[in-house]
Amino acid sequence: MAHDLYGLKKDFNEKGIFLTFSGPLSQELMVEIGHTLKQKMQVEEASKTTVVRVFSMVIENAQNIIHYSAEENLGIITVGREGNHYLVSCGNMVENKNVERLRSRLAKLQTMNPEELKQYYKEKRRKGPDEGSKGGGLGFIEMARKASQPISFRFREIDEKLSFFSVEVTI
Amino acid sequence: MEKLEIKATKYTPEILFDCEKNRLSIRGKSYPENTAEFYAPVFDWLEAYLGQLTDQKARVDMEIHYLNSSSSKVLLDFFDLMEDATEEGKQISINWIYEEDDEDSREFGREFQEDFDTLNLNLIQKET
Repeated sequence: MAHDLYGLKKDFNEKGIFLTFSGPLSQELMVEIGHTLKQKMQVEEASKTTVVRVFSMVIENAQNIIHYSAEENLGIITVGREGNHYLVSCGNMVENKNVERLRSRLAKLQTMNPEELKQYYKEKRRKGPDEGSKGGGLGFIEMARKASQPISFRFREIDEKLSFFSVEVTI
Repeated sequence: MEKLEIKATKYTPEILFDCEKNRLSIRGKSYPENTAEFYAPVFDWLEAYLGQLTDQKARVDMEIHYLNSSSSKVLLDFFDLMEDATEEGKQISINWIYEEDDEDSREFGREFQEDFDTLNLNLIQKET
C-alpha cells in the first residue's frame, strides 16, 4: 500500500487527536461532524458548556473554510484532548495578499484580555462586517473569547500565490 | 398580514411569528450557511409587524441553544428594531430563555441586555 494509514492514525492517537477531517467541506457535512463530536463528548461526560464551546469552535472554523478557503472549500480540522483541555485546530490555504490583514487581526486578539475582547466583540457586532466578509466578521473574536488561552496561528508560504494558514484554539 | 412559520432544520431555528396572537418565537439552533439569506424574510416580517403594531402587547420568546457569530449579529439587528418600536411607545416584551447549565446562552442574553437601554429583555431560566 502506498499510504501508511496506520502511521497516520498512530500519530493522531499520540497527539490525543480523536477527530479529523481533511478534504472538501460542506454545510451538511459540518453539521454531521458537529453532531458526532457532541455525542462523543457527552459520553466523556464533558460539561454542557465545554461541549457547546468545542462545538462552536468547530462550526466557526468549518464555516471559515467553507467561505474563505483559497482552494474552494478544502480544509483540515482536528479535535483533540490534552488533559483537561480540548484543542480545535483548523487549516486551509489563503491567498498571500490576504495574509497580512489576517495576521494583524489575529495578533491584535492575542494581546487582548477578556474584558477587552468582550468590548471589541460588541463594537464589531454593532459596526457590521468588514468589506469582503461573508459572515459577521466576528468568528475569531468569538473563538478568542471562548478559548482558555490566546489563539495560536501560523502562516506557511507555499508558493508566490498561496500560504497555508493554521489556527489552534484551546478550550 | 399573515403569520410567518418556518420549520426548524438541523442548523436553523423554528420561527413562529403569529400576528393575531401577538406571540413571536424563535427556538432551536442557528448556524445557517448563509445567515443573511436565511434571516432576510424574518427581518422583513418583523419590521412590517412592528410597523402595524398599536396598543396590543407583543411577546417574543427566544430559546436558542446554539448560535454562531453571524447569527448573533442578526439578533442584534432584531433587537434594534424592537428597541426602536419600544421607544415609540409600543409594548414589546422579550424573553431570552436559557437552560440551567448553559452558561454561554445566559451570557449571550446578559450581553444583549447591556447593549440596550429601553428594550424590555428578560432573562429566564427554563424550568426543568
